[in-house]
Amino acid sequence: MKSNLIKAFALLAVLVTPFIGSQAIAAKSFADAKVVLQISDPNPFKQTLVLNVASNIIKHYGQDNVEVEIVAFGPGLRLLFAENANKGRIASLAGAGVTFSACANTTRNMGKKLGHPPALNPKSVTVSAGVVRIIDLIKKGYTLVKP
Amino acid sequence: MKNFKKVALAATCTAMLGGVSGVVTTANAANWLMLQGTERADAAPRVKLWGFIQAQYQKDYSDRSPNGYVPPKLIGPNLNSQSGFNVNRARIGLRGQGMPLDGKVNYFLLGEFGNNGITAGNGGSANITDASITFNHIKGARVRVGLFKTPGSEEALQAIHVFDYINFTTMANQGLLERHPQAGDPTGPAQPTPNADMNHFSRSVGAFRDVGFQIFDTFKSAGWEHSYAVMVGNGNGLNFGDNDDNKDTYVYWSSEKVFGGKGGRRQGLKLFAWNQSGKRTNFNDKTQEQDRTRSGVGVKYLKKPFRVTAEVMTADGMIFMGQHRPAHLYNNEEANGAYLDLGWYIPNSKWELDVRYDTYTRGENHPTSGANDETEFNTLTVGTQYHFNKKTRLNMEFAMRDNKSDTPAVETENKGVSDRFAIQLTHIF
Repeated sequence: MKSNLIKAFALLAVLVTPFIGSQAIAAKSFADAKVVLQISDPNPFKQTLVLNVASNIIKHYGQDNVEVEIVAFGPGLRLLFAENANKGRIASLAGAGVTFSACANTTRNMGKKLGHPPALNPKSVTVSAGVVRIIDLIKKGYTLVKP
Repeated sequence: MKNFKKVALAATCTAMLGGVSGVVTTANAANWLMLQGTERADAAPRVKLWGFIQAQYQKDYSDRSPNGYVPPKLIGPNLNSQSGFNVNRARIGLRGQGMPLDGKVNYFLLGEFGNNGITAGNGGSANITDASITFNHIKGARVRVGLFKTPGSEEALQAIHVFDYINFTTMANQGLLERHPQAGDPTGPAQPTPNADMNHFSRSVGAFRDVGFQIFDTFKSAGWEHSYAVMVGNGNGLNFGDNDDNKDTYVYWSSEKVFGGKGGRRQGLKLFAWNQSGKRTNFNDKTQEQDRTRSGVGVKYLKKPFRVTAEVMTADGMIFMGQHRPAHLYNNEEANGAYLDLGWYIPNSKWELDVRYDTYTRGENHPTSGANDETEFNTLTVGTQYHFNKKTRLNMEFAMRDNKSDTPAVETENKGVSDRFAIQLTHIF
């Protein structure tokens, strides 16, 4: 009886294992779909480009299966200015789960030039340093893409 | 992970090619006021170099007048032959946000190096056509200052490099494209060839522009875009300074149902109305001032493959009566004009067919004659455009002209005015 139970369990395990394995692999690949997009370029075309890339990644994976974070620093921080022409798209992407990170160092330096800190998009979160944020995300398994 | 990297790469490539997913939709709000006067907030470069070149050939088939050929039968701006190649426009400009960190201020600078009324009348080979600064600090009341296109007729206000024809309607050419004569300009009967090139003024045409300030903005509501502009200017065309104390006022309104697209060929149904009003001081007699008023309404429909544009204009005072009598420009006559333009973008091709009918009647209140001392210009233009790409296209057009006048001297000039062929290549960079 005991040996029969063991055999039955073993057979079940053999039958089920491939299925569980594929589920696990699928779940893992979804979990791995984590990308950090860097924007640090003064070229305004890059603003459109980085938003397009985020959009396309979400479209491919589905917003529940991918983590996308856009980190803006240097001249690229203009993307996250409150009145940026792309604010409608930013709001839409934020609604789809995209995180927008604004570099505090850049904000501070731009504030010196402007005479006041630039007003940032309320959908963005401030991080102490954009480049450090990217390094931390890479350590967590994110893939860096710089369109 | 390899697959993921491939996907990320593919997403980047797709994005670079302009592929935008359905997750986010773009909204492009632009019209002539906004296209020419503003930049995308915090998304414009410090300096964007741009411009366009137009090279053309024109051939006039009019018959000879008794003493030679006169300007209606000659190709401008040189007015010395019935056919010729010309680089009629070669413009180069800069625009952007001078301080990218402050997206509320932008500029627009454009120069003309081609051969047309802007440069030929200026006695040189180059002229500044636009030099403006826009302040976007107040919602609903942007302020543009400097030299720029005045709010008005669709044909005049639109960007010339996306104009669907080569030559203007007579309404725009005579009624709106203001001439600015000055002391010393030859006056007298129209000179025939070989001296017909004397029939032009020594200063640039106004080029539908003025120096002043404009308050304007655009509001969106339920798929419609409503725009307004109010401007005060010198009324002295491209000349940076003023020549009298009179100021012109310009008011403009448009409401457009936006169908889609962006830029100069955005698709939509636009209704518009405008008024321009001012006074000019006669250069021959500076105690004499003359009103100059223009008003118009129109509609433009563009939804590929069809385009329909129609506009009517009335004009009071300062009616252009010919290049040969500059002093006679300071009159108090009336004119009216209209045009109907139809376009068809041939599906699945790069070709477009165009047909336009325009009419213009001037001298409806001629002070030196009895009733019916009028001159009428009717033109039917058929044309085609071949779009090599979004920045390069070929225009060809054939204009059938029918001019008639109750004024004997003008009728003599008009007799024999016939068809005109034009072909033009445009490249925008």
